[in-house]
Amino acid sequence: MTVLAEPQAERTRRTRRSLTFSIGLILVGLHLAVALLTLVWTPYDPTGMAGGRLEAPSWAHPAGTDRLGRDLFTQIMIGSRIALVVGAGAVAIAAAIGVTLGVLAAFATRYLDDALAATFDILIAFPTLLLAMLVVAATGNASLLSAILALGIAISAIVARLTRILVKRVLAMDYITAARTAGSSWPSIVFRHVLPNIWPTLSVNFALQFGLAVIAEASLSYLGLGAPPPNASWGRLLQEAQGTVYTAPFGAVAPGLALVSLVIGMNLLADGLRDIGDPTRRRAR
Amino acid sequence: MSLLVIEGLTLESSGQNLVSNLSLAVGPGARLGLIGESGSGKSLTALAAIGLLPPDISVKGSVRLDGKEVVGAREEELVPLRGAVAATVFQEPLTALDPLMKVGRQVAEPLVRRYRREGRALDRKAVAREVRSLLERVSLPDIDRIMNAYPYEISGGQRQRVAIAMALACRPKLLIADEPTTALDVTTQAEILELLSDLVRENGMALLFISHDLPVVARVVEEVAVLRRGELVEQGPVKTVFSAPSHDYTKTLVSAAAAFDQALEPIR
Amino acid sequence: MSLISFDAVSFGYSSQQQVLHDVSFKIEAGVNVGLVGESGSGKSTILKLLLGLARPSSGAIRFGNEALEPGNRDFMRRYRRAVQAVFQDPYSSLDPRQKVEAIIAEPLRALGISGPRRPAIEAALRDVGLPTDAISRYPHEFSGGQRQRIAIARAIVARPQLILADEAVSALDLSTRIRIVELVRDLSKAMAILFVSHDLGVVASLCEEIIILERGRIVESGRTSEILARPQHPYTQKLLASVPRMPVP
Repeated sequence: MTVLAEPQAERTRRTRRSLTFSIGLILVGLHLAVALLTLVWTPYDPTGMAGGRLEAPSWAHPAGTDRLGRDLFTQIMIGSRIALVVGAGAVAIAAAIGVTLGVLAAFATRYLDDALAATFDILIAFPTLLLAMLVVAATGNASLLSAILALGIAISAIVARLTRILVKRVLAMDYITAARTAGSSWPSIVFRHVLPNIWPTLSVNFALQFGLAVIAEASLSYLGLGAPPPNASWGRLLQEAQGTVYTAPFGAVAPGLALVSLVIGMNLLADGLRDIGDPTRRRAR
Repeated sequence: MSLLVIEGLTLESSGQNLVSNLSLAVGPGARLGLIGESGSGKSLTALAAIGLLPPDISVKGSVRLDGKEVVGAREEELVPLRGAVAATVFQEPLTALDPLMKVGRQVAEPLVRRYRREGRALDRKAVAREVRSLLERVSLPDIDRIMNAYPYEISGGQRQRVAIAMALACRPKLLIADEPTTALDVTTQAEILELLSDLVRENGMALLFISHDLPVVARVVEEVAVLRRGELVEQGPVKTVFSAPSHDYTKTLVSAAAAFDQALEPIR
Repeated sequence: MSLISFDAVSFGYSSQQQVLHDVSFKIEAGVNVGLVGESGSGKSTILKLLLGLARPSSGAIRFGNEALEPGNRDFMRRYRRAVQAVFQDPYSSLDPRQKVEAIIAEPLRALGISGPRRPAIEAALRDVGLPTDAISRYPHEFSGGQRQRIAIARAIVARPQLILADEAVSALDLSTRIRIVELVRDLSKAMAILFVSHDLGVVASLCEEIIILERGRIVESGRTSEILARPQHPYTQKLLASVPRMPVP
């Protein structure tokens, strides 16, 4: 059996990729571990006074305290949980709506396809944040759920457009004609051939959108459209630290670092994900 | 002295030898066929001959075009060689032509470059006249229409004729044709092959003809070199190599080609 | 009764753009037929019609004595079981994310053919000259010729009566091509092949009968040996004269 020898460049690329993937995994894994931990234990009560006001970082309060004397590190830890819930929730909603619509558009008659494609483009042209604000306004009150729903719907247009293009590309391949000739029905072709073949690109995009959703939620919270404490997100912390940014900069820096580390982690993970689940990129045995 | 001399050419990419220690020579007016299957390195050899290799390929050995070393030469030294010494016709005429430029202007471009090279005055009428005569020489019909047509508006065979006219406009001493008929229909292929051999003979050009198709090669050249995985396995006159191949690989190729040829026997 | 018959079939996207004009031919069980034509001859359209991916504008295509009905699921199941296909590009005709086992099993699964699948797949692999341990590998681990063997295994696993081969060896290197042609010739003892190709040498070495198409019309058809020896139509004559030949020693 011919197994092509692996060229040197391919090997270095793979090593580099698995390194970025590992770093991404560590960063995201750290956030995930902290998020799970907050379900059972936090260093302090997130809503209660834990020390003096605006204390600088110390061993007792690694990220200092806020103006009400609450421990900031505790709030940042809870923020991890909020961020992951927001990211996962928004991406799940976007995936459900976006992939369904994208596949439908790819299979639709020309006019319906054109109409759907135009709709996706218009929705994408709307800034995600603006779209999210409209949804929050429409649902009436700012809660974690409304933020997740808003971001999920906003991102679904991006996912739908990408899905439509990817599906069309796969449908043009001979193995689809071969499957039809073999007697497979369209639903079976979608689940056995189309979805597995668009998944690698799609999953990378999901990871990227996850990061963007976390940032968008922080922005929403910053604008006062996120969830109130005790479910405060990093965006909310940033907003609260705004007034005291000169006297107590750590209040803005600490949640900022948390946000950046999760988003970068997701991006690195996305990059590394490309190889996972793609047999042609896996090392041939 | 030979027009193209390749000596000990080794091309390597990410630790793999794509061409190994290849030596070839094409003299003025000679016609050499380079035969190989996919992965034989035949197209890379053609690119190496005109110094157009992708940057990630490392080159060892020597390639001399009309006495000038191509390996390691700077781009400014190579530009005057391309066209003047060697011109190329590629497999896919649709991608070889600029889709947004009318055929007439497309052929005029290399022509104007040659006029400059020869220090001739740029007379628009003279250029237009010569473009027309070039298109006539490649037997294109309805020249007025074709000169004003975009590449997508003419057929594949006509596009390949335009590509050949562009190569001729350079008046090269060597024409390199890389699978020039592979994308064409059988009847069109026959016409293009005939055109190529006529033009090469009339102009006294040398020809390096690269193909995987044995009977096609036999139709235009008198000598062949057989490449396998970057190595030259056999070289000699077409009739000798095709009737009494010495290397096992050539034997496989020749017997396969002969089997398909034999199936057509009632034609003769 | 013929396996497949085309009866005055025309096809066009509009009345101005007729791709096929009044095409009639028959494919008999066990007889290999070559469909030869250049670009624009309509050979891919005939194939599309035979695959049930399009319907004729007029005329009828018959499978046995039934009319081909792409919309009728029961009929199509029987039809697909009898008629399978092999495509030109062995790189795009195999799903890169499926193992060879799933690829070859597709017709068995899709057509609801009962019985244990594994032995049927292994038998198909043996028939095409691949080791049975290929079953757990992915397409990218194989060369072009081996991939085409996998595609052929998929086409024969349900033991059809007819295989539609669409330029099935054109993308292969010469030394691989001859071996795949030999394989197809062996297999054609058990089934008929409709070999669609522009390559007369390949068609002549495989097919007893030949149909020559030019711009959507059949210009000549009959026994391959007779057409090669005495082509009647000017286009056939031109086509035969254009085929590059090996030099006479």
